[in-house]
Amino acid sequence: MKKQIAIVEDEPALRENYAAALSRHGYSIKAYGNRQTAMQAFNVRLPDLAIIDISLEDEAEGGFDLCRDLRALSAELPIIFLTARDSELDAVSGLRLGADDFLTKDVSLPHLAARVAALFRRIDALRRPDNAAEIVRRGALSIDGEKMQTTWNGSAVTLSLTEFWIVHALARNPGHVKNRQQLMDAANVVLDDNTITSHIKRVRRKFQQVDPAFDAIQTVYGMGYRWVE
Amino acid sequence: VSIRLQLLIVALTTLVLPWAGCQYARELESALRNSQEQSLLAGAGIIANALSAQPQRVFHDSGDSQAFAAAAGDLYVYPLVTQPLLDGYREDWDIPADPAPLPTASKYRARLQAGSTERFLYLYLEVDDAHFMPEPHDVNPGKDRFDRVNLTLQGPAGPTSYFFGTTAPGLIAAQSVAKGDDGADQVVTEPRIQAFWLQTAAGYHLEIRIPLSFVGQRLWIEALDGRGGGQAGFAPDSPRGGRLFFATAGLNALLQTYIREGTRATVVDANALKLGTAGNIVTQNADEAEPIWYRYFLGVDTSEMPLLVSSPDRLSGDSIREALKGTAHAQWVLSGSRHALLLTAAAPIVIDGQLHGAVLLEQAADQLLALRDRALTRLFNLTLIATASAVIIMFAFATWISVRIGRLRAAADLAVGNDGKIRLSMPESSSADEIGALSRGFERLLARLNEHTQYLRTLGGKLSHELRTPLTIVRSSLDNLESEGLRGDQLRYITRAREGTQRLQSILSALGAAARVEESIKQSERASFDLRDLVNSAVAAYRDGFPGARFLLELPENPCFALGAPDLLVQLLDKLVENAVDFCPPGGAITVRLERAEASYLLQVANDGPLIPEALTGRLFESLFEQRQGKDDKPHFGLGLYIVRLVAEFHGGTAVAANREDGSGVVFSIALPLI
Repeated sequence: MKKQIAIVEDEPALRENYAAALSRHGYSIKAYGNRQTAMQAFNVRLPDLAIIDISLEDEAEGGFDLCRDLRALSAELPIIFLTARDSELDAVSGLRLGADDFLTKDVSLPHLAARVAALFRRIDALRRPDNAAEIVRRGALSIDGEKMQTTWNGSAVTLSLTEFWIVHALARNPGHVKNRQQLMDAANVVLDDNTITSHIKRVRRKFQQVDPAFDAIQTVYGMGYRWVE
Repeated sequence: VSIRLQLLIVALTTLVLPWAGCQYARELESALRNSQEQSLLAGAGIIANALSAQPQRVFHDSGDSQAFAAAAGDLYVYPLVTQPLLDGYREDWDIPADPAPLPTASKYRARLQAGSTERFLYLYLEVDDAHFMPEPHDVNPGKDRFDRVNLTLQGPAGPTSYFFGTTAPGLIAAQSVAKGDDGADQVVTEPRIQAFWLQTAAGYHLEIRIPLSFVGQRLWIEALDGRGGGQAGFAPDSPRGGRLFFATAGLNALLQTYIREGTRATVVDANALKLGTAGNIVTQNADEAEPIWYRYFLGVDTSEMPLLVSSPDRLSGDSIREALKGTAHAQWVLSGSRHALLLTAAAPIVIDGQLHGAVLLEQAADQLLALRDRALTRLFNLTLIATASAVIIMFAFATWISVRIGRLRAAADLAVGNDGKIRLSMPESSSADEIGALSRGFERLLARLNEHTQYLRTLGGKLSHELRTPLTIVRSSLDNLESEGLRGDQLRYITRAREGTQRLQSILSALGAAARVEESIKQSERASFDLRDLVNSAVAAYRDGFPGARFLLELPENPCFALGAPDLLVQLLDKLVENAVDFCPPGGAITVRLERAEASYLLQVANDGPLIPEALTGRLFESLFEQRQGKDDKPHFGLGLYIVRLVAEFHGGTAVAANREDGSGVVFSIALPLI
């Protein structure tokens, strides 16, 4: 059975484009223009994945409300924010509400499709028994590539999809400097330098919540970042 | 011309006050002068009337009105105040006039003067006859030759002739020739007529004293040279013999009763000869030690007033001339060597419809002057004080205004700082007057300017935000189109369209960069880090990133720990280096230099590129300020250096652009505080 994706986007052209692209990848698409119609439909049936814009018609933060309501209905449902708003504050708020990823509209359709696929893959992996082969261990860090789960000293560190891919790219080759472009490629995203910086900052903070002494991601000024063990 | 000066000039118009005061004082003086004239004229008229009622006390011979003629031998008899000593000198006569010369046909010269007391007529004769010829004994006046003086008096009983001569100078008596008992001529001495013969080197003086009872209305006097050198004077039988014009005895005392203090009264006969005088002109301010300076331009112009030439025997001047024609007249004159201002008023003395003489009153103007001076001094002092205070107050006021405007101007100059920030508050804005209104106007203007600047500053971010959705529509449509499977040429166009959207994307990204940096600055946390390490590794990255550029790196020996956001500083360095790479000519070097100065770290990025115009050095770091022609395709919105400034200021530092002193390039310097 086809996976059903809900797209909540008030811009019809964009909505149609996303719908067309994703349905080409074999998903069933339900598109909604505002929060009310989307919520009515979700109350009847939950989609398998939701892509939500933050500002919806006359509700400047309608997407956040929708995300909160949706998360209340289901704890596992993958939610992606896809928005024109690129401020860090929005990203932090969105991720804190339980979204799995926060994308700006700069993202290309193939990248979007890759993310959607990755999230579905994770859902599937979570339902299967553990597959140790996919687990990368770097000292205190262990990364499950399939389930996209990260632990530090055994404690889970909740990362968004983009953050996960960044950590994954860094930790796979410890000591190697990854510049911003490499990190963007790994994360299937086009971001500007500042956004990479804030992603790194957020990742560090999340690890530090688990271990205040965390210092594994090092900045190499002017070049990029590297993972040190 | 400053406001202060302008107001000062305006204030000087208050000088019209003293001027008006002067005009007033002049009018006052004029009125005073008029009233003084009138009062003096009235006084003269009263005296004239009083005198005309008692002519016998004024005139000797009220019948003789023939004009006085000195040339015809007419003799004015000066009134003598004291009885002179009969000694041949006339100094004790105390008459300011010199003796009048007697007519002569030869070189034999003689001079004569007459004076009288109440009892005697005095004659003083000066003869230029150096060679004394004495009178012989047993003189025969008809034959003997000696220096002699003949005197003929027209007495009540007809003329009587006397002669003077002496064997030796000294006190002598008059002699006359009389018929003796024998019928022969006989020389008789008249002891009542006495004289003193004084011989001098130049001639002789003869001072004669004659009792008034001997004297009639005329006398003839002549001096004869004993050596036959000639004669001077009038022969006894001459028809032109001199008439005597006397001052009236007792008239002085009479006049004295009529006059006031400070006034002089003089009575003249119809010939203007003085008959009597009384009183003194009192010059009150005779000891004017300090002349009041402003009198010179305030006082009545006296330079055109007639100068009264006084002679001891007669009066002159317009007043007396008019009075002797029959009309009372007053006039201001100058008199004496000091040119003292005098008021003269003359009134005719008319008896039985016939003019007999005149009374002249003279009064010094000093009193008037004193009065005017007092008024003027007060007026002047008051108006001067008023003017001075007006000028001072005006000046102070102008200074105050000037200072306030200056403050406003200074604030206006600084309202838009070098950093592009606008200070919204102006001084004086709480004042209620026009300057306050101007200040508030400035504030409104600045507020609008600030709004506009804010709008411009956020325009980039807003644009980038608003354009993002349509751009995304284009790009997602292209994505979709591409995945439909395209022919070769369609793919080519799609690729071009995609390149276009990418450029648009980078433009939008650049436009929003400043806003994003501002935001990330807000959220930045400060950490301690090694600035030297940061610069070192960043420059290593630039060497990879800009293979075409040559980098020189100068670092201090010791680590440079700083407190701040290293990510932001890397961005700052990025912008400076990008800028330097853009401007550095091929073959030029980009020098990155870190130095530990006294109070700060100095981070410099220099390049050999073109110099910055002096006027722009302060503006380079403003938002959206871009003055260059890009040599690449990258969009430039003048945000790079603005970001540099934001980051520098976030660290409590400063960003400065300057040309190298030798003109070889440009240096951007960032000063960052030490920990």
